[in-house]
Amino acid sequence: MLNKVCVLGAGSTKYGKLNESVVELALDASKEAITSAGITPKDIESGYISNVFGVSDKQVHMAPVIMSNLGIPYTPGLTIESACGSGSVMLREAYANVAAGFYDCVLAVGVEKITQVGTVQSTTLFSYCSDFFYEGGNGASFPGLFASIARAYLTRYKATEEDLAYVAVKNHENGILNPKAHVRKKITIEDVMRSPVVASPLKLYDCCPFSDGSSALILCSEEFAKKRGKSYVEIIGSGRGASPAAVQSREDITTIPSTVNAARQAYEMAKITPKDVDFAEVHDCFTIAEVIDTEDLGFFKKGEAAGAIRAGATKRNGEIPINPSGGLKSKGHPIGATGIGQVVEVFEQFTGKAGDRTIHDAEIAVTHNFGATGASAAVHVFKKVK
Amino acid sequence: MNRRSRFIEAASRGKILANKCAKCSHSTLETTYFCEKCSSDIFTTEEYDGLGNVVTFTIQSVAPEGFTDAGSYAWVVFKVDGAPFNVSGFLKDIGAPSDLPIGSKVQVTGFDEKHGLLLKRV
Repeated sequence: MLNKVCVLGAGSTKYGKLNESVVELALDASKEAITSAGITPKDIESGYISNVFGVSDKQVHMAPVIMSNLGIPYTPGLTIESACGSGSVMLREAYANVAAGFYDCVLAVGVEKITQVGTVQSTTLFSYCSDFFYEGGNGASFPGLFASIARAYLTRYKATEEDLAYVAVKNHENGILNPKAHVRKKITIEDVMRSPVVASPLKLYDCCPFSDGSSALILCSEEFAKKRGKSYVEIIGSGRGASPAAVQSREDITTIPSTVNAARQAYEMAKITPKDVDFAEVHDCFTIAEVIDTEDLGFFKKGEAAGAIRAGATKRNGEIPINPSGGLKSKGHPIGATGIGQVVEVFEQFTGKAGDRTIHDAEIAVTHNFGATGASAAVHVFKKVK
Repeated sequence: MNRRSRFIEAASRGKILANKCAKCSHSTLETTYFCEKCSSDIFTTEEYDGLGNVVTFTIQSVAPEGFTDAGSYAWVVFKVDGAPFNVSGFLKDIGAPSDLPIGSKVQVTGFDEKHGLLLKRV
């Protein structure tokens, strides 16, 4: 029997091109989460840190450095890497340890610092997250890998590049309302279609930015949360999934098995169906990813998401709002932090802190985050505690 | 010789090296250590002609390190003729998507330490 696990506090730096070091970013977000939860660092029994490219900012073995600078050097920490899905995979481990009763209160902080190395080096580092022997080693970048997925999807389902543009426009509309978003800029379908090709058929505005940033959560048992007398959110479902690491090895390139399997587990645990979800934060590293995600998460039938998105179904006032935060596309994608940043959005939505982004009357939310082209993924379900 | 080295050696001769599971007959690329279907590690070696049809591809504006001087190229996923799997590789001198319709025939021409599995259109 698992214990109930709650999100008691959340914090985040702005996402973007930032001056602070990777450690400072993590500490800034952690402090905000600790303050938000109304606890002190001494209440934290373990730290979980997600990060991918710490080496590019001269810091690996990050957990002890973060715990030491939080004034709890004798509290154990663990650093977890799962490419762009590091945050959600780390969340799963933090969740599992609280659910199992090992800890009552833990810190879960994701962080990334990458913009200092420039575009070509970032592109190269990201390519190391692929199955390098078959992908990066043959010249594929991450935009290229998702572009190959996009080409397969557009060909099979007769969707168009303009359909993809609707994802970008919608997420930018949401991101404008998020003060911590990286790219707060209104764009039009024409802007997307006229933007330079990055990897055909994907254009610049189909792609999320390289971002720095950090997001942090305080997770705790229900008993611990109730004692604090503050608003909190309950995690009612958690699922993990995997896919063949290389795109070439997938039976169907237009679906991501890790998402399908993680969602099935999370929904079963939460005792919900996709119809019960009021909004979702999904992994829109590229516009095509959001199209495929929303099908794999069960919000739309296979091949129908592009049309539904074009019709407005995923807007904040649509039937299933997707990425009210602005998503990776507008809010930004500091890859070690992204999966945690999605939960920060859920926490803000459910505790009255989302301002003009608020999805009114929402009670059930989903976060979905994957690594690389979906080789690893985690899905979580959250319930508003009244 | 390790598995990747054997795959590379075959690719250098224009071939794709694979393993056929002795227990369930499932075929996978040489680089796999256990059968995905039945977990057996007893295989017989298969060698396919490095011919196949393009399943999907992309042409990138920003290439990773090692490919910035490669000109305009395509990263290609192709279905290997006669095999139940796809492989991906590097195809130079592709300037536009119209140069490479889905289903185009490609052939392995070698393996280069710098650019990986080399392809040409046939």
